[in-house]
Formats: sequence, C-alpha cells, structure tokens
Amino acid sequence: MSALSRELAIVGVGYSELSRAGSPEPKAISLVAAKEALADAGLSGTDVDGIFEYRFGPESPGAQDMARLIGAPDLAAFGDLMPTNPSGLGAALAGAMAVASGVCETVLVFRCMTREGGYQGGVSGFSDPVLGGQQFETPYGDSGGILMTMALHKQRWMYEYGRTEEDFGHIAVNARRWSALNPRAVLRDPVTMEDYLSSRSIVAPLRLLDCDYPINGAVATVITTAERAKDLRQRPVLIDSMTYATGSRVDWNFTDDFLYGGTRDCADRLWSRSSVTASDVDVAQLYDGFTQVTVSWIEAMGFCGLGEFGDWVEGGDKIGPGGALPVNTGGGQLAEGRLHAISLLNEAVVQLRGQAEARQVPDAQVGLVACGLYPQCGAMVLKGG
Amino acid sequence: MSQLEDAATNGEVVDLRPPPKPDEITRFYWEAAAEGRLVLQRCDACSRFQYPPELVCTYCQHEGFEPTEVSGQATLYSFALVERAFHAGFVNQVPYVLAMIELAEQPGLRMLTNILDADPEELAIGMELELCFDAIGEQQLPQFRPAKVLR
Repeated sequence: MSALSRELAIVGVGYSELSRAGSPEPKAISLVAAKEALADAGLSGTDVDGIFEYRFGPESPGAQDMARLIGAPDLAAFGDLMPTNPSGLGAALAGAMAVASGVCETVLVFRCMTREGGYQGGVSGFSDPVLGGQQFETPYGDSGGILMTMALHKQRWMYEYGRTEEDFGHIAVNARRWSALNPRAVLRDPVTMEDYLSSRSIVAPLRLLDCDYPINGAVATVITTAERAKDLRQRPVLIDSMTYATGSRVDWNFTDDFLYGGTRDCADRLWSRSSVTASDVDVAQLYDGFTQVTVSWIEAMGFCGLGEFGDWVEGGDKIGPGGALPVNTGGGQLAEGRLHAISLLNEAVVQLRGQAEARQVPDAQVGLVACGLYPQCGAMVLKGG
Repeated sequence: MSQLEDAATNGEVVDLRPPPKPDEITRFYWEAAAEGRLVLQRCDACSRFQYPPELVCTYCQHEGFEPTEVSGQATLYSFALVERAFHAGFVNQVPYVLAMIELAEQPGLRMLTNILDADPEELAIGMELELCFDAIGEQQLPQFRPAKVLR
C-alpha cells in the first residue's frame, strides 16, 4: 500500500517524432503523442476525464485544447502548469494527485516543446527597468534564464568538494552511451571526456555539453487507478511514492542550500514514504537539463555521499549500460532531447515493463524518476506490476 | 533593440543595462545605495539580516525591520565569466564577471553582484572583496571588487 489515498498505475506512454530541424505545429505533435499513449493503454479520448500539461508559452497547446482534440467528453480535473513546477513531471504529479484523490479517474498528461514557439533560455533585448526580484539579478547581467545560476553552481560545487569538471563530464558521456541504444534519440553519436572538456564555454565554467539539447517533440502519459489498470492493455507500473520539494527559504539564488536546493528534502520525503529504499532502485531517470543537476540528484537521493559522486561513479561505468545503477537509459534531455522530463517518466515505465529493447536493464523492478532542480523538485518511485 | 542600433550607428558606447525599478519593499535599499551605502533589512525580532529585501523576514516571518548599514566586507562565494551577452543590455559589458558573494555580517548572507576591477584569472573563491558602486541610469548599483586592504 502506498501513501496515496488510491493506488495509481501508469498505463500508457506516447511520443511524437523528435526532431532538431523544422517547425512542427505544437497541436499536431501533441496529438500524436497523446493518441499513442492512449492506444498504448488500450483507451480512447472518451475515457479521459483529466488533463494536465506543463508549458512556458506558445510552444504547447493547453489542456482544454487537448480535450477538444482527443474528444474528452468533459474534464473533471485539468490544469496548465506554468514554469515554477518541477519541470514536465509537474504535470504527472498533478495528474496523479487528481486521480489519487478521486477527483478524476483517468488522466492524460503531456509536454510539448518546439524550438520555434518555445522559450529558449531567457535571451532578452529590453532595457526597461526591472521589477520585483529581478531588481537584484538582471542589472548585474544575471539573464539568460538559469544558465548563469547553473554556472555559479558548477563552480561552487567543484570548490566545496575539491573536484574537477570531469565529474560532470561523466554525465555527458553517459547520455550518449545510452542514446546510441535508443532509436528515438536525436543525438546518438558518442562523445568522449575529451569532447566534453573541449566543448565551448557557454558561461564559464558551464560548457555546451553540460546543457540539454533543444528539440521539437511531444510526450504523453496516461495515469489511472491500479484497479482500472487491471483491465487495460499493458502490464501496469505502480506509483509507490511521490513528492514535490522546494527547500527552505525557496529561491533560485538566495536560498539556504545553494548547492542542492530542494533535492535533499525531496529525497528524504520520497524515501520516507516509499516501500523501498535507494538500494532497491534498478533504474534511475534523473533530470539532466544540466549535467550538475543529475549529480545533485544522485547525491541527494543517497546513492553516494554529498560530494562523492566523482569517486562513486567508477569512471562512468556505474551509471552506464551494464552498470550497477543505470541512469537516464534513453539518453535523457542531453541526448534523447529536451522534453522536460515526462520523457524520463516514460522511459522508467518502458524499462519496468521490460519493453526497452536494446537498452533494457535486465529484470528492472524498481524505478526512480526525479525531475526539476533546486527550487522546483519532484520525484516518484515506480514499481513494476 | 532600436536604442542599441541607434547607438551603434552613432558610434557611441551606451549603457543599456536594465536598471532596477524600486517598489514599496525595495525603495529604502536603492535610496541608501544612491547615497553610497549598503543598507539591508535587519529583523526586529530575530536580528538576522536578509537579502534581497522581502515583505517579511524569511527566517521568522516577522514584519518589522531596522534598515541597517553593513560593512561591505565580503568574500567570493562563486563566480562565472560571461563572455557572450544573453541580454541586449549587456552587449557593451562583455566580458563581465557575475558572482555570488557572502557578506561578513552573517553566514549565508549572500548577494549577486559583478566583480569589478579584477582580472578573471585572478579570482578565487574565498578571496576578500570590498563594496563599491556603479552608476546605472539614475541609480547606484552596489558592486564588489577585490579588497585593496586585506583583513
């Protein structure tokens, strides 16, 4: 029995084609992903009574647009989650809460990202006076979305633990080891540690290969009760525990725990509610919008001590194919492509069903998904049904 | 952008950084900065400083503050070198150093700032810094530079 008020199962996963080039219509690719997820579950649009999605702006249709496209008769729960959530996983967390509480029965959650319509990281051209919290950031040139904060994090982490950039390079190299096995991934060529260390600077010390890869694509997931799941097409994957976290005195920059933000609170609460422990995890999908975010999740989740990632990872083998803790087995945001992590949830589901083909982790029973970063954390433990 | 293009046409170097727009919560801070002082909120109840200004004390949620001038002594907590502008207002600023600094008054009392008058190669986390000011529009922006007299 999980800590949720009703037992939940993930019953459908779907994707559109993922591409770097072109400018696909967001509604069109979102609908492809949604239909695939519903078909995967053995459901249709008329079975859906809840829709949640995560977006920044015009790069994605809204929940009501999706209801119209799939023919949902009416929505008992819905929401368009704006970008303070734990990345795209926020849509799945909200959808799961809606089903667990009995507000709705079957929820479709999705994330669509298009390069043309999407937010590309805060490039701005306005010199108008800045308001609110920006008064203490933008006049100093802290712009470009969170790139600069990420550079400050990377620098501080290396200082606190006396480590070098190679630690982060293991995450970049790992992404391509797995994406080589994933036909859907947009970047499948291997990269070496030398490639990582010579990749160009974005905001020093942040490098190109620290950053995820913007693409066009949509990804969708269907969640319902474990009871309903028994009658559906796939072996259900159960949600064992889930939580959000922000950390104390929440802020991107001026927070209590600059290095880890909410990740440690997120991990502590997740494990306190789970029927399993970190040592039971067979496959981990950990947010990789930037390489250091994955490192922070690995440490916060207790797979190794704080600052110990570089020694623990065994030159990268620990998290790669055949390793003791396979991480981001589809290539993640760095290589499969930036989909704000509902793709990480789907990858965990596919692994726990045993359907991951060339990249399948043998006998995967317990999956961990941790998404977002610092003030915007969310995580789930999943179990094969 | 047109402001920038006009400036480029005229061959001028203009400061297009977006200045802060003070509000009810932050006005005291910018007024003090205009006088060359770094003044922070200090909680009447728990005596802690906080930055940036907020409606309540984010440690104890008390609503009363004593605006209190701090020394400007700080150490470098982290830094990044920005060589390409991500904002049109900083095209004339690159390369610049964005930094997180920690003020001497209280552990964890951190500010974002630029590090002025420094060779990026010589920056090191933990180094001592001192307060300086930088005109932006009609306002003064608190900034930091390597300490001339080491403590």
